[in-house]
Amino acid sequence: MSLSRDLIQRFQQIVGDEGVLYNPEELLVYECDGYVVEKKVPDVVLFPTCQQHVVDIVKTCNEFDVPFLPRGAGTSLAGGTLPVGGGVMITLTRMKQILEVNMRDRYAVVEPGLVNVHLTQHLAGSGYHYAPDPSSQGACTIGGNVATNSGGPHTLKYGVTVNHVLGVEAVLPDGSVVQLGGPVEGSPGYDLTGLFVGSEGTFGIATRVYVRITRDPVAYRTMLGVFETVHDATQAISNIVGAGIVPAALEMMDQGIVEALEAAFHFGFPLDAGAVLLIEVDGLEVAVNEEAQRIVNLCEQSGAREVRKANTAEERQLLWKCRKQAFGAIGRLSPSYCTQDGVVPRTKLPEILEFISESGKRHDIRIVNVFHAGDGNIHPILLFDERDKEQIERVLKSSDEILAKCLELGGSVTGEHGIGVEKIDFMSKLFEPDDLAVMADVRKAFNPMGRCSPQKMLPTAGACGMEHIEKDHPGRRAAM
Amino acid sequence: MTATDSQDEFTPATVAELSRFMRENSTDGRRSIVPVGGRTALNYGHSTPEDSLRVSTAQLQRVIDYPARDMTITVEAGIRMDELAKTLKAENQRLPVDVAQSQRATLGGVIATNTSGPRRFGHGTMRDYVIGISGVDASGRHFKAGGRVVKNVAGYDLCKLMVGSLGTLAIITQVTLKLRPTVASSALVWMIFPKYASIDEVLESLLASQTRPISVEVLDPKAADHVSSDARCQLPNQSPVLIIGFEGSDSETQWQIETLEQECAEFKPAATHVLNRKDADSVWKSLTEYATWSDDPLTFQANLRPSKAIEFIERATKLGVAVQAHAGNGTVVGHLSDEASTLESCQSILDELRQIARASQGNLVVLRCDDDWKAALPVFGEPEDAWPLMQRVKAELDPNGILSPGKIWKGHQ
Ligand SMILES: Cc1cc2nc3c(=O)[nH]c(=O)nc-3n(C[C@H](O)[C@H](O)[C@H](O)COP(=O)(O)OP(=O)(O)OC[C@H]3O[C@@H](n4cnc5c(N)ncnc54)[C@H](O)[C@@H]3O)c2cc1C
Repeated sequence: MSLSRDLIQRFQQIVGDEGVLYNPEELLVYECDGYVVEKKVPDVVLFPTCQQHVVDIVKTCNEFDVPFLPRGAGTSLAGGTLPVGGGVMITLTRMKQILEVNMRDRYAVVEPGLVNVHLTQHLAGSGYHYAPDPSSQGACTIGGNVATNSGGPHTLKYGVTVNHVLGVEAVLPDGSVVQLGGPVEGSPGYDLTGLFVGSEGTFGIATRVYVRITRDPVAYRTMLGVFETVHDATQAISNIVGAGIVPAALEMMDQGIVEALEAAFHFGFPLDAGAVLLIEVDGLEVAVNEEAQRIVNLCEQSGAREVRKANTAEERQLLWKCRKQAFGAIGRLSPSYCTQDGVVPRTKLPEILEFISESGKRHDIRIVNVFHAGDGNIHPILLFDERDKEQIERVLKSSDEILAKCLELGGSVTGEHGIGVEKIDFMSKLFEPDDLAVMADVRKAFNPMGRCSPQKMLPTAGACGMEHIEKDHPGRRAAM
Repeated sequence: MTATDSQDEFTPATVAELSRFMRENSTDGRRSIVPVGGRTALNYGHSTPEDSLRVSTAQLQRVIDYPARDMTITVEAGIRMDELAKTLKAENQRLPVDVAQSQRATLGGVIATNTSGPRRFGHGTMRDYVIGISGVDASGRHFKAGGRVVKNVAGYDLCKLMVGSLGTLAIITQVTLKLRPTVASSALVWMIFPKYASIDEVLESLLASQTRPISVEVLDPKAADHVSSDARCQLPNQSPVLIIGFEGSDSETQWQIETLEQECAEFKPAATHVLNRKDADSVWKSLTEYATWSDDPLTFQANLRPSKAIEFIERATKLGVAVQAHAGNGTVVGHLSDEASTLESCQSILDELRQIARASQGNLVVLRCDDDWKAALPVFGEPEDAWPLMQRVKAELDPNGILSPGKIWKGHQ
């Protein structure tokens, strides 16, 4: 598809020349997001700076019958921003204001292009923060978080994005504006806010988000459990959760990741350990010691070699920095890598980790692990060299095998990265035709013409447009 | 049909039977259907057509899977809340959402009405716990969404759509819940103040408190009198009451009580009572039951910004309303007094209160009143911006308007 001069001019009238990209070399940046296996350049990229721009753009797209889709920072790991079939990409990064912070009523109103961590930085010192903390929080936008219902290390205790969104103002696919929810908890009728969160851009474009802000914990205890084997570490996770303890965060890193992190950050991680657990409890000063001690005991009973404590705020920060930048360090291990995002019931972690290791051996692929263990949300990272086509085949086989195993164990193929285009084939394995038909009906209420983010989330019979996708660059450079 | 059935009611023994029944009904007869669980909240919403057939979930109450160490449970939707709580307690777990009449209320009904109580301040509401759901829609499609794991973003989150859908979109048949551990202790601090203004100051100061309350309740003297006598605790109630709830380990609870008392001293409560163990349990229970207590003509719920709660309560009490507020959330439940015995007098009180609510983007919903009055009352308030979109969702899932027609939008399928 190539757009007419006439249409481009209309867009220039809406957002100005500086808000329109249409030269092929400028568009190249937008050919993919964090999921780089599939690529497709949009026909034009637009940068609205206000809600009215978005309305005018969407109405114009309808008038000219061209597809469109929203994009935030483009850190999606599932190809959520792939413009299947081409069309108009509406990038929201210039709508990034914090419109209101209301401490007494514990909410903030932000524009969708606001970078996640900027909200928490803005709140620093107030005693409040924005709880969802995806590892990409320094780059990803709140609009993108809403669309994918993002999680993060601390969402184990505090809940994922949907648990912190009070309302969304959105431009619907027909260009009308609707406010769902708002600053007040509880509005009559259906919880369309909750439904909108996680709709991956297929229900319209969020132009304003009402989020809950959360009290800062009074005290933290951050620990590093060191284990001889992955099996012992996963057993400890299972025992902690099984004992009814919900830590603030519970993350696992195996030997491969620890090696790379140590080379990058010189934290003093034990290089000979099979796996380490990064565990944090928070709450009241009177409670954290007790809870931390219970966790230490459970780790030791599960065979921990030692449990170290972060003694200072700096040590804690460094540990978290290591965790959140783990993916940056992987470059030291391999030229390319592919991250998967499966979920299993938490007690099944030992089983799935064993399966991952066997799968790696079977296909002769090195796999390392760093993941949100307390949620059962695994992120095996498959390392490879993308120049070796045959190796890529084996990577894809192993990935699919691991996700299929997650389903077999009663889990899911995505805990937080979304379906996007990457996992669309798994939808019919997870869901029955009636489930998908009901979901398609719900989508029709929001997006009856299907022009907004076409070919996403639901497998559509006779899908057209997919033929444009070039499966060229299989280095799925994804992250947690 | 099985033995429990009549002309007006059908109780399927299995989901397959329910699905078949709904499929047949959607092509043949198209009788309107009202799903029923424990029948504790059937009055909520507009009246449904008199010739509706009730479809009961009474025989769908099995525990399907309870992997306690994963802290999730999958159950059929007709399970009674007390039964569910008992099952969970055996594993030291719980669903921390307060439900009135829990011996009768079913999980499906609680989800459909989005019931909650005092603990919503600390623990949230049903939307935060339902991670998987199955239902049968008006055309008999048996569908599911979500799953059995605590983190999952595959597909649209129809769990959220079902919470609060009041039986208008589907008959909920099965639910997977995320669970929480039970706590060692809980306590309530009951404080009375001479004026509402002082309570407002405390509420503001709580935002910076060292403690982490699980509930923040405000009662007017009438409501306080009811709660204290219902709980069989002699508690002062001659002036407005603020009740702060804590949960945790013994030392956590104890520390928070002491800290709160110190923090509140500057606001000069007229009296402070700390309720532990049995007393705390019975007051929690009475606070939970409050919304359903009353022979009074009408009960409403106003949803407000928390900062507007006190202003609203003061006005409401002047109009004779007995109020309980989950003040931390801005949720106010009010019972109109006997004096408001005519529709006209109720209408004028509600109109005034609704305007206060709307002035700060809030709303006011009638929870319960005489069926005859409903025709004249805006049960769910003035039309909201999002209603047309909601009606499109309803029309897509139930194009013939079979499930609880008119329940949310009078005159609309
Ligand atoms: C290093 C790294 C670490 C990561 N860690 C995590 C993690 O810990 N947890 C986690 O959940 N994810 C993680 N991710 C994935 C990703 O960051 C999240 O999915 C994030 O929410 C995407 O935000 P974005 O602004 O980049 O959105 P984009 O990638 O631009 O878009 C994502 C989806 O949202 C839609 N969208 C964007 N803006 C809007 C809007 N305003 N209205 C409607 N739809 C919109 C898009 O169409 C697309 O479908 C990570 C990614 C990377 C690269």
